[in-house]
Amino acid sequence: MARLNDDAQWIVLMGFIVSFALFFLAIVVNQSTVVGQTTAEGVIEFPKNDIIDVRNEILFSSGIVNPTNLTDVKNDISSIGLARKMAIISFNATPAPPGSSYKNVILIHYNNGVTAYNETANY
Amino acid sequence: MRGYENNKKYESGVSESIGFMLIFTMVIVGIGLVTLYGYPILAKQQVSTDIQIMEKNMIVLQNDIKSISYKSVPYKETSLKVGGGSLTVRNASFNTTPSFKIWDNNNIFNTSFNPGQLHYESVNAQTVIDIENGAVVTRTYFDAGSVMLASPRWFSDYDPVTSNTATVIYFIGMNSTNTMVDTSVGTVRMQLAITNFTQVSLPMGDTVFVQYIPNPANDFSQAWRGYIVNSLGWTETPPNSGIYQLPPSNTLVVESYDIMVKGL
Repeated sequence: MARLNDDAQWIVLMGFIVSFALFFLAIVVNQSTVVGQTTAEGVIEFPKNDIIDVRNEILFSSGIVNPTNLTDVKNDISSIGLARKMAIISFNATPAPPGSSYKNVILIHYNNGVTAYNETANY
Repeated sequence: MRGYENNKKYESGVSESIGFMLIFTMVIVGIGLVTLYGYPILAKQQVSTDIQIMEKNMIVLQNDIKSISYKSVPYKETSLKVGGGSLTVRNASFNTTPSFKIWDNNNIFNTSFNPGQLHYESVNAQTVIDIENGAVVTRTYFDAGSVMLASPRWFSDYDPVTSNTATVIYFIGMNSTNTMVDTSVGTVRMQLAITNFTQVSLPMGDTVFVQYIPNPANDFSQAWRGYIVNSLGWTETPPNSGIYQLPPSNTLVVESYDIMVKGL
């Protein structure tokens, strides 16, 4: 009986290693969809542009001097915020202390159930 | 040379046929074990993979619904594969349960809403996954419990600017023009139909209650209890009644959306 030639056992070994590597790669690929989805969801959920828009509008409106008009604008922003942006938005503007280089101190509140944003702005 | 004597191998007591028998028996036993235990495990894996894929699909659909309702996107469509069961629309107009009721102590506000369902039922795994009022909920057949996989966006807010407390509740209903069912690859097309928005100012000391009335055949009250009591921190009075008391608030906002499923 001829002796067994086992010089090529490394081929079998390589086969094992490659299949295990594929197995782990498959797990990583499988997880990647979940990670991608969670990240995309996070980006969709975060209301960055909403906050920027609302903030600009509030800072612009805070210059209104007539108190009746200012109250009207406050109510309008709150109502439109709830109806269109699905968020609770409110603000209050008080004159800055004397000597300050700003005109008003503005408190801004924004909450859409996922993200809450509070700011005290000098404008 | 080692192992050889007079150019002959030590082969006494070594039988080729017995060796063959041993190896052959091992192979047959191996095949038998795989058929007996391995195959059912594989089949079970397939079913649980179907369920997991469907859970992900339902969360994707919930994201579509979020976009349609909260982001005012008029129309959304998603292609998905429904495996191991069927996806149907349970029309909010015809199904009186499940439903939500909201009322307050001073009779300022009293309304109810039927959300309908986007309903997936797996025959093999005996599992139900539903989108109900913007939440993804799941339960198994013949069991009382249920779990919420993804929650809706109800919230209470304290506004430091106006010192106002507000509670916002969203109702999201599923509707369709005709009966629809999807059992394989399909596209779910959804459209925003009607939006309704109510804002109520509540007097001091007024309490608001919200009640979940389940469909007895498809009961998700445990899922909603978990969400409302544990996540939102509202109290259930009396216990196990499905009636929840909202935290004291000055303003109650109820927004309801009707989503029309155009096709599955």
